[in-house]
Amino acid sequence: MQRVRVDAALVGRLAALAAAALFVGLYPLFVSSYKASEFVLVGIYFIAILGLNILSGYNGQISLGHGAFMGIGAYTTAILVSKYHVGELWTIPLAALVAGTIGFLFGFPALRLSGVYLALATFGLAVAFVQLTQSFHFASFTGGGTGLSIGLPKTPYYLTWGIAGGMFCVAWLLLRGRIGRAFTAVRDAPLAAVSSGVSLAAYKTLAFGISAAYAGVAGSLFAMRYGFINPLEFSVALSILLLTGAALGGLGSLEGMIFGALFIQYAPGYGEKISKTAPSVMYGVILLAVLFVVPGGAAQLLKRLRRLLKQAAKPLYSRLGTPAVETAATSTRSEK
Amino acid sequence: MKKAMLTLCAAAAAMTVGLTGALGGSQATPGVSAKIIKIGGTFPLTGAASSYAPIPRGMAAYFSYLNAQKGHKRGINGRQVQFIYYDDAYNPAQTVQQTQRLVEQDRVFALVGGLGTEPQLAVRDYLNQKQVPQIYVSTGATTFGSDQARHPWTVGWQPDYQAEGALYGKTIAHDNPNAKIAIIVQNDDYGNDYIAGFKAGLGHKQDQIVSTRGFQVTDPSVASQLTDLKRSGADTLMIFATPAKTIQTYATLARIGWKPDIYVNSVSATDAFMTTAVKLAGADTVNGSISVEYLKDPANPKWASDAGMQLYRKIMAQFLPDANANDGLYLYGMAKAYSFAQAVVKTGSNLTRANFMNAVLNMTDKTNPFALPGVVIKTGKKDAFPISQMKMIKFNNGTWTETGSLVNGRGK
Repeated sequence: MQRVRVDAALVGRLAALAAAALFVGLYPLFVSSYKASEFVLVGIYFIAILGLNILSGYNGQISLGHGAFMGIGAYTTAILVSKYHVGELWTIPLAALVAGTIGFLFGFPALRLSGVYLALATFGLAVAFVQLTQSFHFASFTGGGTGLSIGLPKTPYYLTWGIAGGMFCVAWLLLRGRIGRAFTAVRDAPLAAVSSGVSLAAYKTLAFGISAAYAGVAGSLFAMRYGFINPLEFSVALSILLLTGAALGGLGSLEGMIFGALFIQYAPGYGEKISKTAPSVMYGVILLAVLFVVPGGAAQLLKRLRRLLKQAAKPLYSRLGTPAVETAATSTRSEK
Repeated sequence: MKKAMLTLCAAAAAMTVGLTGALGGSQATPGVSAKIIKIGGTFPLTGAASSYAPIPRGMAAYFSYLNAQKGHKRGINGRQVQFIYYDDAYNPAQTVQQTQRLVEQDRVFALVGGLGTEPQLAVRDYLNQKQVPQIYVSTGATTFGSDQARHPWTVGWQPDYQAEGALYGKTIAHDNPNAKIAIIVQNDDYGNDYIAGFKAGLGHKQDQIVSTRGFQVTDPSVASQLTDLKRSGADTLMIFATPAKTIQTYATLARIGWKPDIYVNSVSATDAFMTTAVKLAGADTVNGSISVEYLKDPANPKWASDAGMQLYRKIMAQFLPDANANDGLYLYGMAKAYSFAQAVVKTGSNLTRANFMNAVLNMTDKTNPFALPGVVIKTGKKDAFPISQMKMIKFNNGTWTETGSLVNGRGK
């Protein structure tokens, strides 16, 4: 009986996901090609902050350098396509591999740092990435300050969203299992985790690697979408934007990331409408307001809304004699 | 439930095919009706390069002025100009995004004045493939004029960096053939453009270059480069650098006590930047610097009674009353807007993109009220460099004064 009740909640969740998938699938049929190209970016940011969320939300490690990992992915694709004529699609897993490996390695120094120190170290990564790619010494490889061209801008709509959907599922499967539990244990109680046989070093570096691989895939798609990449595109501003999006969507919630991605893509545009001289200020104000009102981001807002609805529906249920569903909302499942 | 999740994954994976279909184009020329001509551009309105923001505002002010005229003079050939410009924060990715927005959503007729070498390079292939005019870009990179054959829909405007470099070379070869020349240069396409032009201008006097030192834009200091250059025994210094590094160069020169003859590229030679240089390095070091100009300088009192400058002041007072009218970038924007209006007039009654490009590449306009007297904005089928004439100027005690007559930087 327990199983059936739990499934009721899951069915609701799956229905919402299916509705979202349906919306994404049909969206380009009803809007202009420009709007569709904008929505590709939502997908790209979604992938990037899914990864960031694995690191920051589930593993408790902050990163102000995810723009650099996206950049590594984008440059992997651009260099392979423009210099070695590799097919674009093949470069996606390679971008994940390169960014993931670098992220994994970056996880080692990160082991010795936490909190604001880690934030500073990753911030340094974001700054260094731009300088290194601009540098004259690597210009023959990276295109220097001019950047690299791999063709015309494209709208890889279904490719991006297909991958986004796939990577969402992977993250979900990963986090609900043994690895996910280890990640959260490392985040919440590192001492207890170690004493239960969870290796801090292994899981912290693993989280960095997986997270960077996600950003790498996002970067690869980013390069395809624009057909032209330049160091300026992966500046510190992008890293901060990604972290803001993840926080706004709700750290520790995978579905929340869709709202974070929507925010990253559309909020600056609306900010620009309000003030042409300082859109980023408006954007900061919106962010502060949201964080004060719902610190858990969009995911928390949804959860609150759901609870309210259930409470409102409760008397109705009891009158009809339907089994109460609220247990599902609060149940924390631990079974596989 | 794992199964359900997996099914969803499979469905998502199944979507991983195909691209969105292209939207069918309409027959009429986009952005043009009997009453309106709609154009667009991208500029850094925010971020590190936002000091260029006066350019689109100056353009918009001039279009507002045209739109407010009475009778047959209203707008351009009776059409009101709608100028839509978006912020790209000098980020090429945003340039692509906003340019697509202008072309596909706002459906503008042409992109006019888009700013920045890398940002405009990022959209050049796209615009040429879509056959949308990308004209009068706000960068002097030579490639925007010299790659005409492969990019027939792209045209520059201001004198290109190679032409400017060549002019310095010719001047030195003529005036001071025994000069020992040192060069401090930004290590990128921008700097290379200047060096290529400068060497060509020097001709057989190229051996007079005794030392060249480069720097990265991101280098914290240029002290070691300048110390090396000083040690080379040079008596003439070429500064091919963007504003921040130029100011730093002046400050360092004062510190190491080196006083060569200085040539400074026009990008960094505006009134505002030179004032800062004087503050940091002292008038002693900065005085005597040589550069070029091709537009009237609103900060220079000698133009006070000039008709073009008075028109400029009038438009500024009416449409941008709060702006600092002494900032030459507003005038730069207006001069560009004037060029655009001339090209539309020249196109005539059948305003299509192709006809417009024919007109843009077949101009001889001597009437620009904001350019130096005598500057001819001239293009041809094989000449996509509208402005090639410049005047040598010398900096002394806070102002630039002209030292020679107009010369053609691209002339043989």
